[in-house]
Amino acid sequence: MKVINHIKEIRQKKGITQVKMAEDLQITRQTVNAIEKNKYNPSLELALKLIQYFDVPIEELFYLEKPEGE
Amino acid sequence: MNNQKLQITIWSVVIGCMIIGGFLGVYIIGKEAGEYNYEIVIAIIVGVVLGFIIYLLFSKWNKKRNGNVPDVDERSVLLMKSYLMGVLYVVLFGSGAVLLILYSMGVHFIETGLLIVCMMGLYMLIGLGAIITKRL
Repeated sequence: MKVINHIKEIRQKKGITQVKMAEDLQITRQTVNAIEKNKYNPSLELALKLIQYFDVPIEELFYLEKPEGE
Repeated sequence: MNNQKLQITIWSVVIGCMIIGGFLGVYIIGKEAGEYNYEIVIAIIVGVVLGFIIYLLFSKWNKKRNGNVPDVDERSVLLMKSYLMGVLYVVLFGSGAVLLILYSMGVHFIETGLLIVCMMGLYMLIGLGAIITKRL
Protein backbone atom coordinates (compact mmCIF):
# COMPACT_ATOMS: atom_id res chain seq x y z
CA MET A 1 0.00 0.00 0.00
CA LYS A 2 1.24 3.43 -0.95
CA VAL A 3 1.69 6.23 1.59
CA ILE A 4 -0.10 9.42 0.57
CA ASN A 5 0.56 12.81 2.13
CA HIS A 6 -1.08 16.22 2.20
CA ILE A 7 2.11 18.20 2.72
CA LYS A 8 1.71 20.34 -0.40
CA GLU A 9 -1.83 21.44 0.51
CA ILE A 10 -0.93 22.14 4.16
CA ARG A 11 2.25 23.99 3.15
CA GLN A 12 0.40 26.15 0.64
CA LYS A 13 -2.39 26.83 3.15
CA LYS A 14 0.21 28.10 5.62
CA GLY A 15 1.90 30.18 2.90
CA ILE A 16 5.27 28.48 3.22
CA THR A 17 7.53 28.08 0.18
CA GLN A 18 9.44 24.89 -0.66
CA VAL A 19 12.77 26.69 -0.10
CA LYS A 20 11.67 28.04 3.31
CA MET A 21 10.50 24.58 4.34
CA ALA A 22 13.78 23.02 3.13
CA GLU A 23 15.75 25.61 5.10
CA ASP A 24 13.72 25.11 8.28
CA LEU A 25 13.89 21.29 8.16
CA GLN A 26 17.48 21.21 6.84
CA ILE A 27 16.62 19.08 3.79
CA THR A 28 17.10 19.78 0.08
CA ARG A 29 14.39 21.37 -2.07
CA GLN A 30 14.46 18.27 -4.27
CA THR A 31 13.52 16.15 -1.24
CA VAL A 32 10.58 18.45 -0.44
CA ASN A 33 9.41 18.08 -4.03
CA ALA A 34 9.85 14.29 -4.02
CA ILE A 35 7.88 13.95 -0.75
CA GLU A 36 5.08 16.20 -2.01
CA LYS A 37 4.79 14.19 -5.20
CA ASN A 38 4.66 10.94 -3.15
CA LYS A 39 7.82 9.73 -4.88
CA TYR A 40 9.77 9.44 -1.64
CA ASN A 41 8.65 8.36 1.82
CA PRO A 42 10.49 10.35 4.49
CA SER A 43 12.24 8.57 7.35
CA LEU A 44 10.41 8.34 10.67
CA GLU A 45 12.64 11.12 12.00
CA LEU A 46 11.78 13.47 9.14
CA ALA A 47 8.09 12.50 9.32
CA LEU A 48 8.02 13.43 13.02
CA LYS A 49 9.82 16.69 12.22
CA LEU A 50 7.17 17.44 9.57
CA ILE A 51 4.35 16.81 12.06
CA GLN A 52 6.05 19.13 14.55
CA TYR A 53 6.73 21.73 11.84
CA PHE A 54 3.16 21.91 10.57
CA ASP A 55 1.65 21.23 14.01
CA VAL A 56 -0.94 18.79 12.68
CA PRO A 57 -1.84 15.21 13.75
CA ILE A 58 -0.02 12.43 11.91
CA GLU A 59 -3.18 11.09 10.24
CA GLU A 60 -3.78 14.48 8.68
CA LEU A 61 -0.33 14.52 7.12
CA PHE A 62 0.17 10.87 6.12
CA TYR A 63 -2.24 8.06 5.39
CA LEU A 64 -2.20 4.74 3.58
CA GLU A 65 -3.79 4.60 0.15
CA LYS A 66 -7.02 2.63 0.41
CA PRO A 67 -7.13 -0.45 -1.83
CA GLU A 68 -9.78 -0.39 -4.58
CA GLY A 69 -13.20 -1.70 -3.56
CA GLU A 70 -12.95 -0.55 0.06
CA MET B 1 34.13 18.22 16.15
CA ASN B 2 31.69 20.79 14.82
CA ASN B 3 30.83 21.17 11.14
CA GLN B 4 33.04 24.19 10.43
CA LYS B 5 36.11 22.63 12.07
CA LEU B 6 35.52 19.41 10.11
CA GLN B 7 35.25 21.37 6.84
CA ILE B 8 38.47 23.27 7.54
CA THR B 9 40.25 19.97 8.32
CA ILE B 10 38.94 18.31 5.14
CA TRP B 11 40.00 21.27 2.98
CA SER B 12 43.43 21.45 4.60
CA VAL B 13 43.98 17.73 3.85
CA VAL B 14 42.72 18.10 0.25
CA ILE B 15 44.85 21.19 -0.47
CA GLY B 16 47.85 19.61 1.28
CA CYS B 17 47.49 16.42 -0.79
CA MET B 18 47.23 18.46 -4.03
CA ILE B 19 50.38 20.44 -3.26
CA ILE B 20 52.30 17.33 -2.11
CA GLY B 21 51.15 15.55 -5.30
CA GLY B 22 52.43 18.49 -7.36
CA PHE B 23 55.79 18.45 -5.57
CA LEU B 24 55.99 14.70 -6.15
CA GLY B 25 55.37 15.36 -9.84
CA VAL B 26 58.19 17.94 -9.90
CA TYR B 27 60.48 15.42 -8.16
CA ILE B 28 59.61 12.56 -10.56
CA ILE B 29 59.98 14.76 -13.66
CA GLY B 30 63.27 16.14 -12.26
CA LYS B 31 64.56 12.64 -11.57
CA GLU B 32 63.67 11.46 -15.09
CA ALA B 33 64.96 14.58 -16.87
CA GLY B 34 67.96 15.06 -14.57
CA GLU B 35 67.00 18.69 -13.96
CA TYR B 36 64.57 19.99 -11.33
CA ASN B 37 62.26 22.71 -12.59
CA TYR B 38 61.34 24.74 -9.50
CA GLU B 39 59.29 27.26 -11.51
CA ILE B 40 56.45 24.73 -11.65
CA VAL B 41 56.19 24.86 -7.82
CA ILE B 42 54.79 28.42 -8.02
CA ALA B 43 52.30 27.32 -10.69
CA ILE B 44 51.21 24.39 -8.49
CA ILE B 45 50.61 26.57 -5.41
CA VAL B 46 48.90 29.38 -7.35
CA GLY B 47 46.73 26.83 -9.23
CA VAL B 48 45.59 25.10 -6.04
CA VAL B 49 44.88 28.38 -4.19
CA LEU B 50 43.07 29.86 -7.23
CA GLY B 51 40.97 26.70 -7.58
CA PHE B 52 40.05 26.89 -3.89
CA ILE B 53 39.09 30.58 -4.20
CA ILE B 54 36.89 29.80 -7.25
CA TYR B 55 35.22 26.99 -5.26
CA LEU B 56 34.64 29.35 -2.30
CA LEU B 57 33.10 32.03 -4.54
CA PHE B 58 30.90 29.44 -6.27
CA SER B 59 29.65 27.98 -2.97
CA LYS B 60 28.96 31.52 -1.64
CA TRP B 61 26.94 32.31 -4.80
CA ASN B 62 25.11 28.99 -4.46
CA LYS B 63 24.27 29.74 -0.82
CA LYS B 64 22.97 33.18 -1.80
CA ARG B 65 20.77 31.64 -4.49
CA ASN B 66 19.41 28.68 -2.51
CA GLY B 67 19.50 30.06 1.02
CA ASN B 68 20.64 27.96 3.96
CA VAL B 69 19.66 24.65 2.34
CA PRO B 70 22.04 21.72 2.97
CA ASP B 71 23.86 20.01 0.10
CA VAL B 72 23.14 16.52 1.35
CA ASP B 73 20.18 15.05 3.24
CA GLU B 74 18.75 11.59 4.00
CA ARG B 75 17.32 11.17 0.48
CA SER B 76 20.57 12.06 -1.30
CA VAL B 77 22.46 9.62 0.97
CA LEU B 78 19.98 6.87 0.04
CA LEU B 79 20.24 7.72 -3.67
CA MET B 80 24.04 7.74 -3.45
CA LYS B 81 24.02 4.35 -1.71
CA SER B 82 21.95 2.73 -4.46
CA TYR B 83 24.01 4.47 -7.16
CA LEU B 84 27.31 3.25 -5.70
CA MET B 85 25.90 -0.25 -5.33
CA GLY B 86 24.92 -0.20 -9.02
CA VAL B 87 28.36 1.15 -9.95
CA LEU B 88 30.05 -1.62 -7.96
CA TYR B 89 28.29 -4.34 -9.93
CA VAL B 90 28.64 -2.59 -13.30
CA VAL B 91 32.39 -2.03 -12.79
CA LEU B 92 32.96 -5.51 -11.34
CA PHE B 93 31.10 -7.48 -13.98
CA GLY B 94 31.62 -4.93 -16.76
CA SER B 95 35.41 -4.97 -16.49
CA GLY B 96 35.35 -8.77 -16.28
CA ALA B 97 33.22 -8.94 -19.41
CA VAL B 98 35.47 -6.46 -21.24
CA LEU B 99 38.53 -8.56 -20.33
CA LEU B 100 36.84 -11.75 -21.58
CA ILE B 101 35.75 -10.06 -24.83
CA LEU B 102 39.25 -8.67 -25.39
CA TYR B 103 40.80 -12.10 -24.71
CA SER B 104 38.40 -13.80 -27.12
CA MET B 105 39.26 -11.14 -29.72
CA GLY B 106 42.90 -12.12 -29.43
CA VAL B 107 44.18 -9.26 -27.23
CA HIS B 108 46.42 -11.09 -24.77
CA PHE B 109 48.52 -8.19 -23.48
CA ILE B 110 47.48 -4.75 -22.19
CA GLU B 111 49.82 -1.82 -21.74
CA THR B 112 49.70 -0.45 -18.18
CA GLY B 113 49.59 3.12 -19.56
CA LEU B 114 46.37 2.26 -21.38
CA LEU B 115 44.97 0.77 -18.16
CA ILE B 116 45.73 4.03 -16.32
CA VAL B 117 43.86 5.99 -19.02
CA CYS B 118 40.91 3.55 -18.83
CA MET B 119 40.78 3.80 -15.03
CA MET B 120 40.92 7.61 -15.24
CA GLY B 121 37.97 7.59 -17.64
CA LEU B 122 36.10 5.24 -15.32
CA TYR B 123 36.74 7.43 -12.26
CA MET B 124 35.59 10.51 -14.15
CA LEU B 125 32.40 8.75 -15.27
CA ILE B 126 31.67 7.52 -11.72
CA GLY B 127 32.31 11.04 -10.34
CA LEU B 128 30.04 12.61 -12.95
CA GLY B 129 27.33 10.06 -12.17
CA ALA B 130 27.68 10.81 -8.44
CA ILE B 131 27.24 14.56 -9.08
CA ILE B 132 24.11 13.90 -11.16
CA THR B 133 22.75 11.46 -8.53
CA LYS B 134 23.29 14.03 -5.78
CA ARG B 135 21.27 16.61 -7.71
CA LEU B 136 18.33 14.27 -8.46
